[in-house]
Amino acid sequence: MDYIIQGFWEAIQLLLSFDKEIFGIILLTLYITIMSTFIATIIAVPLGILTGIKKFRFKKTLIRFLYTFMSMPPVIAGLFVYLILARRGPLGELELLFTPTAMIIAQVCLVAPIIMGITYNSTREKGQSIKQVAHTLGADKRQALALLLFELKADILAAIVSGFGRAISEVGAVMLVGGNIKGHTRVMTTSIAMLQSMGDYSQAIAIGLVLLALSFIINSILYHGQKVV
Amino acid sequence: MNITLNHITKKYGDKTVLNIEQFDIKAGIVTGIIGPNGSGKSTLMKIIAGLDNEYTGALLIEGQKINNEIYKAMTLVFQKPYLINTDVYNNIAYPLKLRNIAADEIKSKTEKMIELLQLQEIMHQNARTLSGGEMQKVALARAIVFEPKLLLLDEPTSNIDPQTMQLMENAIRYINHINHTTVVLVTHNIRQLHRVCSQAVFMQEGKVAEQGSVSEILAKVNEDYTGDFLEQELSTKIK
Repeated sequence: MDYIIQGFWEAIQLLLSFDKEIFGIILLTLYITIMSTFIATIIAVPLGILTGIKKFRFKKTLIRFLYTFMSMPPVIAGLFVYLILARRGPLGELELLFTPTAMIIAQVCLVAPIIMGITYNSTREKGQSIKQVAHTLGADKRQALALLLFELKADILAAIVSGFGRAISEVGAVMLVGGNIKGHTRVMTTSIAMLQSMGDYSQAIAIGLVLLALSFIINSILYHGQKVV
Repeated sequence: MNITLNHITKKYGDKTVLNIEQFDIKAGIVTGIIGPNGSGKSTLMKIIAGLDNEYTGALLIEGQKINNEIYKAMTLVFQKPYLINTDVYNNIAYPLKLRNIAADEIKSKTEKMIELLQLQEIMHQNARTLSGGEMQKVALARAIVFEPKLLLLDEPTSNIDPQTMQLMENAIRYINHINHTTVVLVTHNIRQLHRVCSQAVFMQEGKVAEQGSVSEILAKVNEDYTGDFLEQELSTKIK
């Protein structure tokens, strides 16, 4: 028990000392998480809405795949992106492996299905009624889409919150494609995993506390936004 | 707006839910549609409103096929209306905003509807927090605020108190009177049919079984199926 208490104490001291390495890790984590959530939102929200309101062939099959991808183990996404970006892979020439870009790509693969799935479910549930109201009140297609987005904004925000949660807590995929390189691709989750294996609990706890606090702050902001809209 | 339906057939799989050979709804009057559950009333309303296009036959409004201009001049109020997640005022103003009407005109027209349906006390309340009756009043106000030429009402006054019902009936009469709006009202309430409508249609098994003035339809109380339905409805209301 003592080593845990000591770990907490050392963690606070470490944070208060504004350790350059730790703050570098924090900033990189935020950059990768926010970028991947943003890109996934841009891709997944329109796709989720379209899938929810349109009828098309193989829709049921697509939904089955979507649900499968929503619960895809991160290491599989990581492995997939690794194989694509590896020197011998189809995009090997881009030399993106073991870069923050590769980590963002892997996280987009994990986060996009979650955002798309939640958006799809909300649209399926409410989209028809919203479309009917827009139509019966004289809205054109653009106005109907605007109403749909307005009515679904809380659900879309909930989807983004879920996606962000997945991205910030992810370790397997970013470890595979990022390599946990010090000062380059080391993020908070991969640091904790490494420090724990090295027995350096104070640093692991310090980063863990920051990760928890960041997650709490950002989710609180998004939750507040969800209540406001 | 005159509505003409020719050989309209609607099927769900092998089941025919609507089979209307010839049916005309006259412009500028209030026509009531009655009939047992599953007789095709709501399906007919959805087809006229353009929400269901999977049917065969011809639907003509003012002698022409439905186009965007006609769509913009008509509206449908559902039994369970969907209100936008904003306050009552903005719900009612919404159709006017869609039509790019000047701000002062939006204000005056919206306020007029709020007064007509006595919504002053709840005008700044979120529409999602309203009771069922209040929601139906807001939905009706939103439907008539832009003075449609065709107003389709699918049981808009079901399960509401008599005072609210009276307000809504007054609003229906008002829009019909000042704007010569053609109103088609689906109802299970025979007294309401008598109070509000001048023409009536009795539907059964997807067909127009009887058509005429309200007094003609009500006079058939002792005749065949129409009479059975009306008697049943009347006895329910009396109880």
